Amino acid sequence: MKRRFFDLAFAILGGALLLFILLPLVSIILQATPKTFWQAFSDPEVTRAIGLTFAAGAIATGLGALGGVPLAYILARRRFRGKRLVEALVNLPIVIPHTAAGVALLLVFGRRGLLGSWLSPLGITFTDNLAGIVIAMLFVSLPFLVNLSREAFALVDSELEAVALADGASPWQAFSHITLPLAFRGVLSGMVMMWARGISEFGAVVILAYHPKIAPVLIYERFEGFGLSSALPAAVVLVLVALVVFSILRLALTRDSRG
Amino acid sequence: MATIPPATEISGKVPLVVFAAGSLIIPFDHLEQAFEARYPNIDVRPEYHGSIQVIRHATELHDSIDVIASADASLIPMLMYGSQVPETGKAYADWYIRFASNRLALAYTDQSKYAAEIDASNWYRVLSQQDVRTGIADPRFDPSGYRALMAFALANNYYRQPTIFFDMFTGRFRRSIGIFQDDDLTTITVPEIVEPVANTGLVMRGASIQLIALLQSGELDYAFEYESVIQQHGLNLFSLPEELNLGSPDVDYSKVLVRLDFQRFHSVEPEFPGERIGYGITIPSNAPHPEEAELFIAFLLSEEGRALMQADHHPLFEQALADNHANLPASLQGLCAPAETP
Repeated sequence: MKRRFFDLAFAILGGALLLFILLPLVSIILQATPKTFWQAFSDPEVTRAIGLTFAAGAIATGLGALGGVPLAYILARRRFRGKRLVEALVNLPIVIPHTAAGVALLLVFGRRGLLGSWLSPLGITFTDNLAGIVIAMLFVSLPFLVNLSREAFALVDSELEAVALADGASPWQAFSHITLPLAFRGVLSGMVMMWARGISEFGAVVILAYHPKIAPVLIYERFEGFGLSSALPAAVVLVLVALVVFSILRLALTRDSRG
Repeated sequence: MATIPPATEISGKVPLVVFAAGSLIIPFDHLEQAFEARYPNIDVRPEYHGSIQVIRHATELHDSIDVIASADASLIPMLMYGSQVPETGKAYADWYIRFASNRLALAYTDQSKYAAEIDASNWYRVLSQQDVRTGIADPRFDPSGYRALMAFALANNYYRQPTIFFDMFTGRFRRSIGIFQDDDLTTITVPEIVEPVANTGLVMRGASIQLIALLQSGELDYAFEYESVIQQHGLNLFSLPEELNLGSPDVDYSKVLVRLDFQRFHSVEPEFPGERIGYGITIPSNAPHPEEAELFIAFLLSEEGRALMQADHHPLFEQALADNHANLPASLQGLCAPAETP
């Protein structure tokens, strides 16, 4: 009896929260009439912004994986001094307000920034272009990739690696033939989460690159400048496309692993 | 968005929501402090945008706003007189007070490219170079943007070089901004999508104040700003000739017209004729706190308000002028003269 009351109370509390997430999403999806789709997809500014957003998110994720996967592996497998510090550092972008992250990135990658002042004479700049969008997304979304990959690597039995090494495999071979394939699902879901977080970023991107406009910036500008009716088609389509892509990826990732 | 949060009841203060042009942010901040010191029961809640945005927050996004201050007074009759509050059917506003002017100018820093060489004879050539980064506000949202376009069109005639506008803007927008010149009127058409082409040196933001940080961080070499704003930030000021800066009472700027060529505004087709810059202020008819709003405007026009604006390099007119003077709240009628009806 007590147990049932406990379960019921928790279910109600949790359910209320679910409703809180669902209601806004459902009400924006209900706005999706054939007309909104036609408006959105016949509007080159919207299609371009959505394409740019997804592409920039993918590039950021690719770059993130290049450094994030090795970092995650080291955090999962090795003990070293300052490990806690590194872990805290990886999670910093989650706690920093993203507009502040944008300003901080500008101080480094801006034309007079720490690195920017060296790179801009070479023609490499990070404001109002794709590179700026990518570094902003990379900065704010990297923790998702590193954390999920680290958990995935930690779940791989280190004995398997030890056996491979004992049998004469190089550490590279052990990683690429044993550890990475076994942890692949987790690493991939880390990448999906990173991509998803990247495409939803607004604050850091808008500071570095107002143009070319990614979808969140375009939606904001449309809402501010032209009102709700103008922002809605782009918002509806972005929400739907993100939901569909995200569900497919999650489904593909979790299908076999469910016991 | 601007609905009254419960904090009101806790603090016991009347929240006075002021939406103002971005170029007023510094003087209005000082005004707010002095005003709140005088009226401790009022809590001013300011929000700043490009002036078209400011008004659309009232008329399109239906925020509850007590005071609206626009960098282009003509936007108030254009966008507020003709549109009705859905609940009351009354126009959003039926009067405004023109209280100050300004001058369009270029802000730059010592690090700006060609900072040592720029002068009255070559500024437009400097800005049209691809390696010089120039910021202007989006003409769809901020009067400073369409005023910058006007300045270039006026420069065509002033310098007797008909390609100045063309040299500055051609190839720098994904959809070009049109310019059509006949004998006595130059018409500039702004398309629905205004987006600079990357790496051509032209940088655009929704409001001119958003360009200040970019200038300070070195992303921009020059930015079109109002003189008051440049002085408030201690940036280098490059003054445009009186014939182009839209700030002189003695110059006729009416030979240029900017049209926003798209149908997103209710019923109106926005056209901005060249004219001397005039800032306008009004109280929307659906303001939740009209009496406090009157106090705020009266304070702006008082000796104390005048001194504060002056200290921030944004002097008020000697005599504020009211459009539809008879419609003003009684407490404000004595503070301004009726504008001459054209």
